[in-house]
Amino acid sequence: MIIIKDLYKRYKTEHGPSRWVLEGINLNIPKNVSVGLIGANGAGKSTLLRIIGGADYPNRGTVERQCKVSWPMGYAGGFQGSLTGRQNAQFVCRIHGHEMDLKDRLNFIEDFAEIGEAFNEPVKTYSSGMRSRLLFAMSLAFDFDVYISDEVTAAGDAAFKNKASKAFKDLANRSSMIMVSHGEGTLREFCSAGIWLNQGKAYWFNQIDDALKAYKESIAA
Amino acid sequence: MPFSRSIKNTKLVWKALFLREALTRLFGGRFSWFWLFAEPVVHIAFLAFIYSVFRLTHIGGIEVAVWLLVGMTAYFMFSRTSTQAMNAINSNEALFYYRQVLPVDTVIVRAILEGFLMLIVLVLIVIVAMIADLNIAPEDPLMILSAYLGVWLFALGFGLIISVIKKMIPELSHIISFLMTPMYFLSGVMLPVASFAMPYREWLMLNPIAHGLEAARLGFAPYYHAVPELDLAYLWLSALLSIGFGLLLHRNFSMRMVMQ
Repeated sequence: MIIIKDLYKRYKTEHGPSRWVLEGINLNIPKNVSVGLIGANGAGKSTLLRIIGGADYPNRGTVERQCKVSWPMGYAGGFQGSLTGRQNAQFVCRIHGHEMDLKDRLNFIEDFAEIGEAFNEPVKTYSSGMRSRLLFAMSLAFDFDVYISDEVTAAGDAAFKNKASKAFKDLANRSSMIMVSHGEGTLREFCSAGIWLNQGKAYWFNQIDDALKAYKESIAA
Repeated sequence: MPFSRSIKNTKLVWKALFLREALTRLFGGRFSWFWLFAEPVVHIAFLAFIYSVFRLTHIGGIEVAVWLLVGMTAYFMFSRTSTQAMNAINSNEALFYYRQVLPVDTVIVRAILEGFLMLIVLVLIVIVAMIADLNIAPEDPLMILSAYLGVWLFALGFGLIISVIKKMIPELSHIISFLMTPMYFLSGVMLPVASFAMPYREWLMLNPIAHGLEAARLGFAPYYHAVPELDLAYLWLSALLSIGFGLLLHRNFSMRMVMQ
């Protein structure tokens, strides 16, 4: 269960705080239900996702994680450019307590990412495709109860995409997800419940279809 | 929001950060590890040369080279540790992406790493000095330990405080760099504090680092005429107070420092 209580978020800018992106979000997300976040551009989907994953923090309110929740996957934010892909992966393995089987995890990441020698070169030399391959491989190497995913399925070129989408489906069978995607098909395929974000508020729907319907009606209106 | 975390997780994060930081500190640039050792040696050699030009052979009853060497290593213990620690948050920005990693972790781990490295540098320099037949030996190990450790703890506290200030009020980092340069002159690294008249000497001894330097010299040469105002308890008290205040600042500002 992930419990979100009275969450408010706005961003810092050079000219003072921005508008409120999230205004009083209250949600209880069960551990074994996959949820899709739906809303217009700028509705705060990614913001909420990042806060649930702990990559950013709310101005007010709390997020309580009562299960193993991943970091928000699909952003290149967590890479230190001067270190190699391997060193970055090592760091992430270590903070998640995989010192003992570090070698296995690294081998898995190296094999899955298929970026060859670049794995031992600084991440700042990577193309965006290589980055997303590495990111995706890293996100598969750990066992979480809930995965936080922002358009993760979109990673890489055609060859990688096939492999990635298959792996992603396996993952979805093992664990639950909280995801953002603009593909309605993807959402229907992976998620059973939905959260519709509108005007800084969140609305929970037990059926993803109802959430999509509410979203569409709001555009049509 | 409470920032509670188990001891097990803290250990995991510290270990991962330590290995990561050690890698960049030692091998981040070409021969980084060499400069760690060479920089203080060059400072010591240069000042020893200047003093020899002025035909000064002894300060406070000990050889100039020994006086400089001990003071300089103790001062480097402070300046390197605090500089590395106060810049820890900005250098590790990417890692706060993982919610396990808090700003305070990066500051503490950097201070620990720097302390270790300076300890190695100190041992190497003392060995070289002993081989070079300088009159130096760890005569009073307890005094040496409490002097260097006190300086390190003060550097940690200083780093903890300044790291928060730099992050929350970036404009102040200019003023902080102004402050670091006079520290070199006011800590008794190149000019003996004992040579100042009262009341200036008393004022200089308000600086906790000066106490650490004098005590370290006394530890390597018990016959050294240290400043009469020398008080190691003052250094330790300042160190513990600054660490306490620094941790308090981190506790209160942790979230705001990593928030976007």
